[in-house]
Amino acid sequence: MAVWVVWRANNHWALSENSPDKPEIVNCGPVMYWSGRKKNVKKRRSGAEFLDLEAVVDSDDEEEEEEGEDDFIVHGGADLQDEDDGGRIRRRPLLQGDDEQEDVDALARKIQQRYARTSHVEYDEETTDVEQQALLPSVKDPKLWMVKCAIGHEREAAICLLQKFVDKGGELLIKSAIALDHLKGFIYLEAEKEAHVKEACKGLRNIYSMQVRLVPIKEMTDVLSVESKTVDLAPDSWVRMKTGIYKGDLAKVVYVDNVHQRVTVKLIPRVDLQAIANKLEGINVGKKKAFIPPPRLVKIEEARDLHIRVEVKRDRDTGEYMEVINGMHFKDGFLYKPVSTKSISIHSIQPTFDELEKFKTPGDEKDEDMAGLSTLFANRKKGHFMKGDAVIVVRGDLKNLMGWVEKVEEENVHINTKIKDLPKTLAVNEKELCKYFKPGDHVKVVSGVQEGATGMVVKVEGHVLIILSDTTKEDIRVFADNVVESSEVTSGITRIGDYELHDLVLLDNMSFGVIIRVESEGFQNLKDSNFPQVLKGIPERPEVVLVKLREIKSKIERRVNAQDRNMNVVSTKDVVRVVEGPCKGKQGPVQHIHRGILFIYDRHHLEHAGYICVRARSCSVVGGSTGKDKNGANLLTTRSDGLRASPNILQSPRRIPRGPQMEFGGRNRGGKGQDSLVGRTIKIRLGPFKGYRGRVTEVKDQTVRVELDSQMKIVTGNETPRYGLGSETPMHPSRTPMHPYMTPMRDPRVTSRRFRICLFNSNDGSTFVANSYVEKAFAA
Amino acid sequence: MFFHIELERNIQLHPRHFGPRLKEKLKQKLMRDVEGTCSGRHGFVVAITHFDDFGKGLIREGTGFVTFPVRYRCVIFRPFKNEVLEAVVTLVNKMGFFAEAGPVQIFVSNHLIPDDMEFQPGDMPNYTTSDKSVKIQKDSEVRLKIIGTRVDATEIFCIGTIKDDFLGVINDPGAAS
Repeated sequence: MAVWVVWRANNHWALSENSPDKPEIVNCGPVMYWSGRKKNVKKRRSGAEFLDLEAVVDSDDEEEEEEGEDDFIVHGGADLQDEDDGGRIRRRPLLQGDDEQEDVDALARKIQQRYARTSHVEYDEETTDVEQQALLPSVKDPKLWMVKCAIGHEREAAICLLQKFVDKGGELLIKSAIALDHLKGFIYLEAEKEAHVKEACKGLRNIYSMQVRLVPIKEMTDVLSVESKTVDLAPDSWVRMKTGIYKGDLAKVVYVDNVHQRVTVKLIPRVDLQAIANKLEGINVGKKKAFIPPPRLVKIEEARDLHIRVEVKRDRDTGEYMEVINGMHFKDGFLYKPVSTKSISIHSIQPTFDELEKFKTPGDEKDEDMAGLSTLFANRKKGHFMKGDAVIVVRGDLKNLMGWVEKVEEENVHINTKIKDLPKTLAVNEKELCKYFKPGDHVKVVSGVQEGATGMVVKVEGHVLIILSDTTKEDIRVFADNVVESSEVTSGITRIGDYELHDLVLLDNMSFGVIIRVESEGFQNLKDSNFPQVLKGIPERPEVVLVKLREIKSKIERRVNAQDRNMNVVSTKDVVRVVEGPCKGKQGPVQHIHRGILFIYDRHHLEHAGYICVRARSCSVVGGSTGKDKNGANLLTTRSDGLRASPNILQSPRRIPRGPQMEFGGRNRGGKGQDSLVGRTIKIRLGPFKGYRGRVTEVKDQTVRVELDSQMKIVTGNETPRYGLGSETPMHPSRTPMHPYMTPMRDPRVTSRRFRICLFNSNDGSTFVANSYVEKAFAA
Repeated sequence: MFFHIELERNIQLHPRHFGPRLKEKLKQKLMRDVEGTCSGRHGFVVAITHFDDFGKGLIREGTGFVTFPVRYRCVIFRPFKNEVLEAVVTLVNKMGFFAEAGPVQIFVSNHLIPDDMEFQPGDMPNYTTSDKSVKIQKDSEVRLKIIGTRVDATEIFCIGTIKDDFLGVINDPGAAS
């Protein structure tokens, strides 16, 4: 029988027999085990029952593997050999105890023998998938049973079974016992029948054999295959502490002890030397538990000054000399702390620059950069490279070779280079590549704290880019890996809750302002901790406040106008010039208006994202609404625009005092006027078709049929005349010289007449009222 | 870099301008519309030099406006990467300084200012060499090299460097006075 404690596995299962005093490890081949071992068991039942166990090894890895193969890949030929020389070799661990007495020569001979035998037995390479399939457990094989045991005593339970097997000899019918490190409270037994399991467990207090569960054949392999996700801790990678006073602190892995699941990490110590000194001297200063000393490098001299004993010891694992103060190991001011792998978080660690800076010790800057690099790779996302990315090789023979990504496969990236003699595309491992940027490139940050920001590369420092942000015009430091080339211009985070950057918002205390920036203040990517910065609406005295989201009451969206110093109406998007106050001379389009205060955007103004807050009275409108000038056909000009533009029309030389409005209608009563409506383009002002433009196809008494421009549909409706202050509309044809007769009846202030057209919706029979822009009046 | 190129544009003219001085009006409108604008493709239109011809106008239905296709030649200014320009400093802060070369705004980051020049805050913030011989402040004229451009629809923004041979201050008003 064998007792296994599954240790770790990549392709191989590593099994270990765990004796209380000395854990020993064995590696065995892959799935082979199922048939191979069985043979072993059957053949060896009588004699060397502990074959599997005895394949025990010293710490040398290679040897382990060889040994593993020895044991588990047993086939006909080797079996016989096993029987005769197995005894000797396999007793080695026992012999190891009296190694001292043993002749070195004999040992050498033995080793040679072993390797001689295994060197030509290379099964691993030869086994194909199909062969491996054949080795999978089937119905004929012994089954695997899951048995409950005391939590934390899994290994002990397995050992107990081993002991029982030794004592009882062949009576015990179970084939093996397996304790998995990652499975608490259960062990597996391999046996033909449930009864055998129960029998074996009888009398063992660690094992609760009340519940014996059969592991389905399909899942049997899963029991012994360890998910490869296992901690992939490598020295020099960055981790974060999960517990203790260093919780959340960045640490660098120095040494990894996979067997004991422990790592030594390098930390910036949070040590209060004074407290230690006090403690050592026996002074008891009232304990303040809440106080955690800030991280600071420890200076040994300081410790000496405080009369703390500093020992210099050589570290067992790393072999370096360390200063030991009060049981803590220090080197170069850093704390070297052995911790359990469970107390550190390994995945997706994004060290910030500040943290990395602190870890930099003068003198090893170069090294540090490369070390940082290794971390970058560890934290890299999948699908990191994209076709067309400029890359540079950072490791290996091709170091410093530049190229462009052509194709990305799983691990390998195919790159194109410009160098002639090289083949067209080279496949390079992802880990050997880093993105490459030149100063002047326009980039976007795709991950990290600054995610979303865009800017131009100002400087390249190794694998760190300094970017000039587009919006804030400030420097950002980012890793080249977190950046993609992009022509897009954004300002980082632009949304917060319901609000967007540059929105005018009402704050708690009835003050208001424009959001000029959304900051991610957060520590370690806390997504909710974005704070909008608001430029408060206090003219002449810019005040920026950092507010919390809940302090923002609402968005102010009302469209209001204000009057400038010349009593001109200012509406949003008008360009105004500031004529007095500290911002005198600034000019820009009005973005927001609230309570007579204008928020002007001036691109030359660098503070507050270009926003200037001034009183409307201290500004003057420049030109006019740009929107109107550019697009003469703007039908949606605001009422105020119309008013402002009206003086133009007043100057019409043919102006004749307007007649009474009633006369108007009277003159045009009859079919004639209506006919002229036909063919006109009108715009519907009310009802479900509001805003639609169309052409009048037919006029009958009070109904108008309108062919809509946009919908390929004809609607019918009523028309009723209505006069009013119209807005200047460019399609107003009455100003054309060809229709001079139109002018007399024009209301001087009215540039066009709006007619109410009641439209009859042919779809559902409902009627609605609309005003149309037409130049003729109709009888009611 | 300046270019003299021929461009085409459709101009909408209000019917009230139709008359003997139509061409004049058209020219005026074109100048007003085009000069000083910036297109991402061509750059800043500095001045219209020739007003070649305009084609037949097309009356826009409904509005009465007439669209004329117009061809004109103009001087445009477009900054390019690696171009060396002379510019006037407009603003100095600890991040660097802004300079203007005509309509183009150029930012020179402090990473791209020679290392021996240091920022001196104060009333008149400036960058000064350690021996105080060279000073960059507002209104200084500098020669710089453009290393990157960002082209928006209505603006071209550049990043420049003076960290190279023959670049830097060419005329310092402060020193002259």
